Amino acid sequence: VRRVAITGIGVVSPLGNSPEALMESLAASRSGVRRLEDSAYERLTARIAAPASFNGEDFFDAPRLRMLDRFTQFALVAAQQALDRARLVFAESDRSRAGVFIGTGMGGAQTSNDGYQTLYGQNSDRVIPYSVLLAMNNAASSWIGLEHSICGPNFTYSTACSSSAVAIGEAAMRIRSGQVDTMIAGGTEAPLSLGPMRAWEALRTIATEDPDDPATSCKPFSKNRTGMVLGEGAAVFLLEEWEKAETRRAPILGEITGYGITTDIAHLTRPSVDGQARAMQFALADAGIQASSIGYVNAHGTGTQANDAVETVAIKQVFGEDTRVPVSSTKALHGHLLGAAGALEFAIAVLAMKKGMLPPTAHLAQPDAACDLDFVPNLARRAPGLRAVMSNSFAFGGTNAVLVAAAGPER
Amino acid sequence: MTTYTRLKNILVSEYKLPPDALLPDARLDALGIDSLGVMELLFKIEEEFRITVPSDQVELATVNDVVAYIERLSEEQGTAVSAQQSTP
Repeated sequence: VRRVAITGIGVVSPLGNSPEALMESLAASRSGVRRLEDSAYERLTARIAAPASFNGEDFFDAPRLRMLDRFTQFALVAAQQALDRARLVFAESDRSRAGVFIGTGMGGAQTSNDGYQTLYGQNSDRVIPYSVLLAMNNAASSWIGLEHSICGPNFTYSTACSSSAVAIGEAAMRIRSGQVDTMIAGGTEAPLSLGPMRAWEALRTIATEDPDDPATSCKPFSKNRTGMVLGEGAAVFLLEEWEKAETRRAPILGEITGYGITTDIAHLTRPSVDGQARAMQFALADAGIQASSIGYVNAHGTGTQANDAVETVAIKQVFGEDTRVPVSSTKALHGHLLGAAGALEFAIAVLAMKKGMLPPTAHLAQPDAACDLDFVPNLARRAPGLRAVMSNSFAFGGTNAVLVAAAGPER
Repeated sequence: MTTYTRLKNILVSEYKLPPDALLPDARLDALGIDSLGVMELLFKIEEEFRITVPSDQVELATVNDVVAYIERLSEEQGTAVSAQQSTP
């Protein structure tokens, strides 16, 4: 059986643009959510989001930048970080035995937003010539492939909020199958322009701004939760066939051992206990472990009334009615990165295991009887010796994706 | 300002190209402006010269080809004089 090593992680996020910065913010329960002061957002009811502190000009020269939507910029920077940390340089012979799988829900939403603004808002026909190339959903994965001359499979997965968990899971399967030895896999999303934000708001899933502190607006599993907050960023993994990674003495951060997928068929958006529970069970079975072996679950935990109550029941169904497994939703701090959420949260789960630190569910002030797990409320917790972690991603459209990782070798 | 100088200004400011490299017979592909890049350049030329570039394909290999093309379109579209006046 071919095993899948995680040898690099790259991050652009509302909590910093490196794995270290991300984990430091989580450990300190520092929120990336804030009020959007820019007048571009004045028409929103809830002017809150979790933006990444990211300026494309710091990474790309001007002619290049004009070809890259923000979601692609994130992905390229995160992929480069992952490769740098894995200390991997693609050799000529490896390139067709390597691939790129990226998840995104909304792709080049900013380019679409800006194009429609030109066309309808300004009543101008001066839509920029690269609009199609910037906005296409596969732009991020294609550019990563071009940048690193990777000529194996290059796919973009779009299953809404589980897109990047699916991309990572499918990438791991490709390595296991023997088709490829190396995969760049993850997700990216840049939905913080007015059009997409207003569309999310219209769905009535966005949290109301906390009157005292906007940074605490997203309150997963808390009785007074009012919804999610949109975030932006990317998380990209370098995955390698275990023996190859060992042979080249790559830094192994962990191993992808389980991937579970189910699809809800009852409703487009309503979460299902059964669908979520079975996805977790499939992932555990794939990893060949019992639920009791899992030391931490990074929940989907959007902060909506529906999700958090359903996910609590689903976790109990899998882990037992009186389970004490620590579960946290880090979305309280980094917001919901949609198509990038699964990758970012799986990165957090893997890094939490590596560091022996459980990131908290922040802003959990009022316990809810319907949400009664150990949510690691408000403060991070030390947890040395974690051997396996789980990350849940559940999507509109019904695709439930669960990833399980095991700890890497002690080094 | 001549068409050549104005084009050069675009190439320097938008493409970060060294002015010395922008000789009239310099090839666009050698300057890093491929067929896709030409599409974008034409978009900027439309704005700077207040002309409309037709959608039919045109072969533009060198800086001078672009200059000649701009001048032909300006002539045809009667924007040559006003465009020059509008430029400081």
